[in-house]
Amino acid sequence: MQGPLIDTLARQGVSRRTFLKYCATLASMMALPPAAGLAMAEAMAAARRPSVIWLPFQECTGCTESFTRSHSPTLEGMIFDMISLDYQETLMAAAGHQAEAARHTAMRDNAGKYLLVIDGSIPLDQDGAYSCIGGRSNLDILKEAAEGAAAIIAMGTCASYGGIPKANPNPTGAVSVSDIIKDKPIVNIPGCPPIPVVMTGVLAHYLTFGSLPELDAKGRPKAFYGETIHDRCYRRPFYDQGKFAKTFDDEGARRGWCLFELGCKGPVTYNACATVKWNGGTSWPVESGHGCLGCSEPDFWDAGGFYKALSLPADPLKFAAAAAVVGTGAGVAIGFANRSKKGGAKSAHETTTLDDLEA
Amino acid sequence: MKLDVIPIHVANQPPGEPGLSGNAPPLLREVVEQVRRLIESGEPSAIDLSALPLTPADLDWLQEKLGAGEIAVTLQASGESTLNETACPGVWWVTHRNEQGAVNSQFIEVAFVPELVKAHPQDVALGLETLEFMIADRQGDAD
Ligand code: SF4
Ligand code: SF4
Repeated sequence: MQGPLIDTLARQGVSRRTFLKYCATLASMMALPPAAGLAMAEAMAAARRPSVIWLPFQECTGCTESFTRSHSPTLEGMIFDMISLDYQETLMAAAGHQAEAARHTAMRDNAGKYLLVIDGSIPLDQDGAYSCIGGRSNLDILKEAAEGAAAIIAMGTCASYGGIPKANPNPTGAVSVSDIIKDKPIVNIPGCPPIPVVMTGVLAHYLTFGSLPELDAKGRPKAFYGETIHDRCYRRPFYDQGKFAKTFDDEGARRGWCLFELGCKGPVTYNACATVKWNGGTSWPVESGHGCLGCSEPDFWDAGGFYKALSLPADPLKFAAAAAVVGTGAGVAIGFANRSKKGGAKSAHETTTLDDLEA
Repeated sequence: MKLDVIPIHVANQPPGEPGLSGNAPPLLREVVEQVRRLIESGEPSAIDLSALPLTPADLDWLQEKLGAGEIAVTLQASGESTLNETACPGVWWVTHRNEQGAVNSQFIEVAFVPELVKAHPQDVALGLETLEFMIADRQGDAD
């Protein structure tokens, strides 16, 4: 299991140049200078694979799917070569007492050094009885595993902020990892599901620099969550020109105009979808015609309805300036469109309207 | 069924001037600086083209300005990469593609030889082992 990473990779048929190429791309995605790619490759090639314990709590396994079904297996799949995955219920062959024993062995042998990955939220109501593994509550297991961890990675919006289990009325009393653990470095990788390469990037950073990457106020790596979806959206010029699709099948929608009025949460959502995209770079939600749901933000499920337009332009100053340039008073147009939505949609078509979707 | 039967006009590019953003020319000046550094100190450097706000037209413009040189290297490593010298020796246009052929990242590398082209000493040592085995094998056959 142990030994320099490059040997492990070689044994799996991954050449040094493949690894170098991969690191160059990873450094680029993380907005590190080009020279960092080489530094990363050298550091990681020589690094011992860190022990990783991955605990699934109140979750849907979507986050695990996001990785393991990733369309570019050589890129994100490499994550499993970079680490020594000592416990992951969904992927491991062992079960029952054997599995629990594996976790305890890994925790004891790598005390103070292992990385703890959590997906899913932690229910606190009924003494945590809503989610138990081997007869023990998630809360109990989390506290025990966090004790000897060097750092914790909260995978997905549930582990990061409570996610869908925490959605109103939060029947299980779900909370996030950082609500419970206060004395360990925690990096949040929110998204429902999160973008696989973010995880790889965080691990690469950890292996190269021995530390977690720089985080924003919500505990997310700045390299991937530094800008809003809206900032990097290719439909942005239409937003600036005040050109909005009003329904999912009107002329504007066909022309690929901005989805703001159809409820796009891009202006208030920090994530890398617009640049990294999904399914091996094929496309991403806005490109396929649907607004961003805001899935990488806390409480996105209760943020007022997926098809309701945000009440304010994200950056009123920029917006006003753009509207002035275009000379159409786009801000006014939005207010008007919202007020007249019901009637307008009714008269324009017979198909599903926004109000139907909201109901 | 033909695609144009579907009444959707894809308009990714906003109408009007699609082309140059004006971000490419300053890059040329940066390349000049890097080439100068390479000559003076031997220090290689690179510009990450995927990290910059460049339109496809900008990239075309740059590539056309830098021209094509004598050497074109193709690397097959989970997808094809091309490391092509431009008409300016020491300036390389590097493109990494994934297995599906999509561009993963793109760089202008300023170096005598791009890092990826060089063989690593450890790999060379492995090659030497293979060669030695080969000779030992042949000797075994001859006996
Ligand atoms: S509101 Fe949504 S669709 Fe419109 S530009 Fe912003 S992110 Fe893109
Ligand atoms: S576009 Fe928005 S809702 Fe969709 S995955 Fe990205 S951050 Fe989440």
